[in-house]
Amino acid sequence: MAETGAKADLLKVNDLTLDYATVDGRVRVLQNVSMTINKGEIVGVVGESGSGKTTLGLGIIGLLDSPPADIIGGSVTFEGKDLLKLGRSELSQFRGPGIGMVFQESLAALNPVYRTDTQLKESIEVLRRAQNLDLSDGAEQEMMVQILNDLRLDRPEWVLKKYPHELSGGMRQRVSIAMAIVERPKLLILDEVTTGLDVYVQNRILNILKDLNRRTGTAMMFITHDLLVASQISDRLYVMYAGRVMEEGNTDNILNAPAHPYTQKLFAAIPQGFVDSPPLPAPKGEAPDLRKLPTGCKFNPRCPLVMQKCKDIEPPVFETIQGSKVLCWLLEKT
Amino acid sequence: MSNIVEVNNLTVSFVVRGGNLLLFERGGGMADVVNDVSFNVREGETFGLAGETGSGKSVIAWALVGLMKPRSGSIKVLGKEIDFGKKADVTYLRHNIGIVFQDPVGSLNPRLQVKEIIKEGLIAAKTFDRREYDKRIEEVVDLVGLRKSSLEAYPRELSGGEKQRVSLARAIVVPRKMVVLDEPTSSLDVSVQAQVLNTLKELKAKLNLSYFFITHDINVMKYMSDSLGILYYGKLLEVGSTYDVVTNPKHPFTMRLMSNVPGLKRTRLQQEEGRLTEQGSSATGCVYRKICPRVFEKCSNLPPMFDLGSNHLAACFLYDKAS
Repeated sequence: MAETGAKADLLKVNDLTLDYATVDGRVRVLQNVSMTINKGEIVGVVGESGSGKTTLGLGIIGLLDSPPADIIGGSVTFEGKDLLKLGRSELSQFRGPGIGMVFQESLAALNPVYRTDTQLKESIEVLRRAQNLDLSDGAEQEMMVQILNDLRLDRPEWVLKKYPHELSGGMRQRVSIAMAIVERPKLLILDEVTTGLDVYVQNRILNILKDLNRRTGTAMMFITHDLLVASQISDRLYVMYAGRVMEEGNTDNILNAPAHPYTQKLFAAIPQGFVDSPPLPAPKGEAPDLRKLPTGCKFNPRCPLVMQKCKDIEPPVFETIQGSKVLCWLLEKT
Repeated sequence: MSNIVEVNNLTVSFVVRGGNLLLFERGGGMADVVNDVSFNVREGETFGLAGETGSGKSVIAWALVGLMKPRSGSIKVLGKEIDFGKKADVTYLRHNIGIVFQDPVGSLNPRLQVKEIIKEGLIAAKTFDRREYDKRIEEVVDLVGLRKSSLEAYPRELSGGEKQRVSLARAIVVPRKMVVLDEPTSSLDVSVQAQVLNTLKELKAKLNLSYFFITHDINVMKYMSDSLGILYYGKLLEVGSTYDVVTNPKHPFTMRLMSNVPGLKRTRLQQEEGRLTEQGSSATGCVYRKICPRVFEKCSNLPPMFDLGSNHLAACFLYDKAS
């Protein structure tokens, strides 16, 4: 359902570069990150810990504290407005009905002393102010029950009267999602929302999100470390490493033919066979220390196909025949 | 193949009062968090235990290393039944079975260097001569794939993967028959997980170890284990060779679990209809009957394990030949 053309752009991140200023010095967390999310599209952002995916999400919705965060350059354009140039109060108008976010830890994201209905009412209040709605108490209650129903929660009235600790992980996660979607955002940022949930609860939540996307056209940015989860739900994928987008493209294309050696290694590292399968071709080493990144391509010390050029110069973006954008010298046309 | 560990009708209970678990208090009722579980771990084999959060996987792991006393049932190690009241028996258990915990941060003492952490395993076992400690520690560090330089490091200076290797080194520094691995890679990135899984497999072959492997990741489970048990609310619902249980699941819960596993070749979401009551257990009869799609009258009784041939067992009345 992804439309092409400039008109369909909902969010455009352009060359976003961001540092964290810490006691140990400055650390570059995002380097020239560009991303487009079209209306009604689900975009997956995958990467291992420290790749900058959560920072990117928080940066888009303007929740990074400064200090330590320091935006060096780039722009985040949402419906034609550069969010980075807006002041605090102007920006808050975009949150909620514009951009919503669901955080990883539902237990920490929900206020422990509020019942579900009180929490949801907070979100409805935001919507009411933004759209000057006139809602009676009864209509509000109906709206809450409806939204929990849509998320296929059993006994919505019962859930509304419960505190977060009385709900299961899957239920809590859906309450957090309810809080975000009750504001009818145009873009929903989901940060590791299925991490730590059992497989079929995870599957249910993915189904619910996909269904929501089809019914309401809410665009989604789905952040996860789990490549399989991301590929199940997203139309397009962004693969991040050391604060850079290493590969970007249509999910099916990346699944069938990952172009960047890092993406290839990520897929290969997922166990698929039975116990008699050969050892997993894992990339050597661990996620890089952002304070001591190598010169040239940031993946070069772990890359099996490394060339001299990779160690000297950081590759620019190359486009594959299928239209994926890849940060790798192997795709340079000679 | 002989059995390293035989677990028969294991039941572990926590004390509860007013519906709340009381881990450290006496009095009140008992809740069976592991209920009548039986399985064997054969020599050189990896036995995998899968189940959702709160199903009691870790409690079984704790019982296997004597951190939790069974209320009833027995654990036999190399044919010897362990009397959990006898200190000598628990020591015997721990000499033969080591453990790697899930949380690499919480399970390593932050104030000790890596070599001291590993040495604690040796001190506790009392089977090595003190003069051999350093040599043994170096050997084992090499085995698990840690750099020699990390011996002097503190846990905070290590990455997640390295921390789990330290835990593993501590578990095998005294030669053991079996290692209990409680979600050893669930906190690691996929690329690091792959490295650790490779090391685990190499070690197992090299030292002729058996593993008791716990994970909720079915892809990892498939890749690691020879046999597989499926746990649900403290009950073992199905057990068999991993291949049989994954490709031909028999219990309705296992079927549902397996159909939801994402794979590289099957990336389409499985549609599930209806309302989501994802959790629920029944106090009487089959634990799964409250949400089982194939429930019938008989399920109000407690199903025994039905033998489906070739060591494949399922606790489900669908396989009751008498009906």
